[in-house]
Amino acid sequence: MNLSPSGLAEDILSGLKEHREEFHLVTFSMGEDYGVPISQVHEIIRVGDITMVPNSPSYMEGVINLRGKVLPVLNLRKRLRLPDKETSKASRIIVTEVNDKVIGILVDAVSHVIKVPSNFVETVPEEVLEIDTDYITGVGKLNDRLVILLDLEKLLKRGKIEIQEKENAII
Amino acid sequence: MDYTALIKDYLDDANGHLNAFDESLMLLEKNGTDSDIILKTLGSLHTLKGNSGMMGFESLKIYIHQIEELFKKVNDNELKLSGVLDGLLDSANVIRNALRQIEENPSVNPDITESILSLQQLQEGSGNGQEKQSVELSSYLGTKTDTIRVDFKRLNDILNLVGELVIFKTRLNQIETQIREKINDKALSKELSEGLELMGKATAGLQEGIMKARMLPVSHVFNKFPRMARDIAKSQGKDIQLSFEGEDTELDKTVIDELGEPLLHIIRNAIDHGIETAEERIRKGKPRVGKLLLSASQESNYIIIRVADDGRGIDLERIRETGIEKGLIKAEDTVSREDIFSLIFAAGFTTKEKASDVSGRGIGLDVVNRTILKLNGHVIVDSFPEKGTTFTIKLPLSLAIIPALIAETNGEIYAIPMSAVDESIKVREEDIHIINNHEVIRFREKILPVIRLNEFFGLNRERRKKFYLVIVGKAEKRIAVAVDRLIRQQEIVIKPLDDTFGKSYGISGATILGDGRIVLIVDVLAFWNKGQKDAGYTMQDTR
Repeated sequence: MNLSPSGLAEDILSGLKEHREEFHLVTFSMGEDYGVPISQVHEIIRVGDITMVPNSPSYMEGVINLRGKVLPVLNLRKRLRLPDKETSKASRIIVTEVNDKVIGILVDAVSHVIKVPSNFVETVPEEVLEIDTDYITGVGKLNDRLVILLDLEKLLKRGKIEIQEKENAII
Repeated sequence: MDYTALIKDYLDDANGHLNAFDESLMLLEKNGTDSDIILKTLGSLHTLKGNSGMMGFESLKIYIHQIEELFKKVNDNELKLSGVLDGLLDSANVIRNALRQIEENPSVNPDITESILSLQQLQEGSGNGQEKQSVELSSYLGTKTDTIRVDFKRLNDILNLVGELVIFKTRLNQIETQIREKINDKALSKELSEGLELMGKATAGLQEGIMKARMLPVSHVFNKFPRMARDIAKSQGKDIQLSFEGEDTELDKTVIDELGEPLLHIIRNAIDHGIETAEERIRKGKPRVGKLLLSASQESNYIIIRVADDGRGIDLERIRETGIEKGLIKAEDTVSREDIFSLIFAAGFTTKEKASDVSGRGIGLDVVNRTILKLNGHVIVDSFPEKGTTFTIKLPLSLAIIPALIAETNGEIYAIPMSAVDESIKVREEDIHIINNHEVIRFREKILPVIRLNEFFGLNRERRKKFYLVIVGKAEKRIAVAVDRLIRQQEIVIKPLDDTFGKSYGISGATILGDGRIVLIVDVLAFWNKGQKDAGYTMQDTR
């Protein structure tokens, strides 16, 4: 199914019927296909002005003004140590909420919302993947396509530890 | 102390307890004797008795005591509930009437001798029930209260909305300027200006109102210390007298909440290391009891909190020596008195090798410093041998909306809090000199270090022939911050940065400008930290 033109998660959701043994994934492209559960996604927005924050971790892209709120934006390419790529017209910020924390995630392009069965996720065959498996819940196969499920909680928590290290270095 | 305010508080509280009492009696009437209810009621009555006694309403205190006794007897099965319930229900009305009299005239003790006597009779098992106390129906409603309890989150939400309103107002003001340039209708544009001005006033009033609603007197945090101070002092064989001044001074609740810990460390330090034992004090010819003064006052947009002891003081020379030993300062540096004392806030300043009175200090003092800095404030120490030590904490009144200077460098816009800005000057590149590999400027007979904001934030160093220097800090600690352009001065709403940014060194938060653009707020204190790292050249003086 294709994304609704508004790009709002609510709109996407309203067009879908929840099924007990199925769940929905917002998938996006980063060279490979990635996905996050739609329950963690607030909305998907276009990339506007991003204010850079000096002396912050390199994978933090900066902050944006989301309807009067200061929203931090994480650059997923840098976070996953993938090769750099300029933002394009297709680039999007996925606004996510994990543990009461709202954070934007900059991705190359948002593809689809897909409905997958709950047994869709399989454990990760480590040798297959180039990226750090620490940030991954699992991998799912869908019509010969491989979708990598991101563990947002770990993705953000891991950041904290690194920041602490950095802080100590300053002191 | 404002006595009338106390009466008001007392009455609000008393009515609450009275209602609880009434409720329990009704329950007992319905369900019969219930120990749980009786014990709960006794607690309520006890508080009411204590408060009444404290406020000097002796007759009421005695009366409530009689009710307590009656209740205890019922609980111990000495009296039957059914026999005294009417009397008890009546006693609630006696209290109700008494409170009403107090509300009308707080200086007179309500005369309830008759009622006291009849309760005593009831206790002895005689005189079943007393003459029914008649109560005006309206007094069941109790006194009208002037206060309500509000969840702090609600106040926070309102403050956030007000913050957004301030942002929108700024935006409208910018649009107004553009409109004025484009339209020729003078009358209309005048009306627009007037309308905006009125809205501005209302917004400012709203902002002030919500700020006030969040304020609490510092006594909230001060009152936590007398007992603690007494206990620490006692355990060390010291006698101290902790007194307060200006405890009515009000501060934002979020600041009050954060203030407890730093004050705790300072007070503990003062008792541990400042104030001498009673014998030592007598030997020195000082009064036996050591004095510790906690004071608060407001100075323009700041709150000043002082902790002063009359103990042995800190030896300036010793701190200087330890500072040199630790490499924090250089022996040849001319370091001001204030700067030397501020060394005790450096993390790990104390040395165990030096078991002197100096080395004992500093425990937890870096925590003090950090907490205060986090609140956009700062702390200084001054001390005189044998006269005592004073810690002075300076805090901004508000944590949310502050005036700031908006400045640009390399096309990026930053906000510098006005509280730190002394003045700003326009300079040419050739005015900047180099001393010891550091850029400096001669300004008003002094040499000030220059920090280029773009370099400080890791941006490209773009050279301009003419640019601006924003002088931040006071006295010996002034630093000139180089920016390309000054845009304007305006009120900004501080929005904290998410902790995913780490410490984001040099940035204390973000704000949203009228055009929707996000601007980062410069953490001015970071400049001095950098200065300190650069071997204390910031402290040089050419005088």
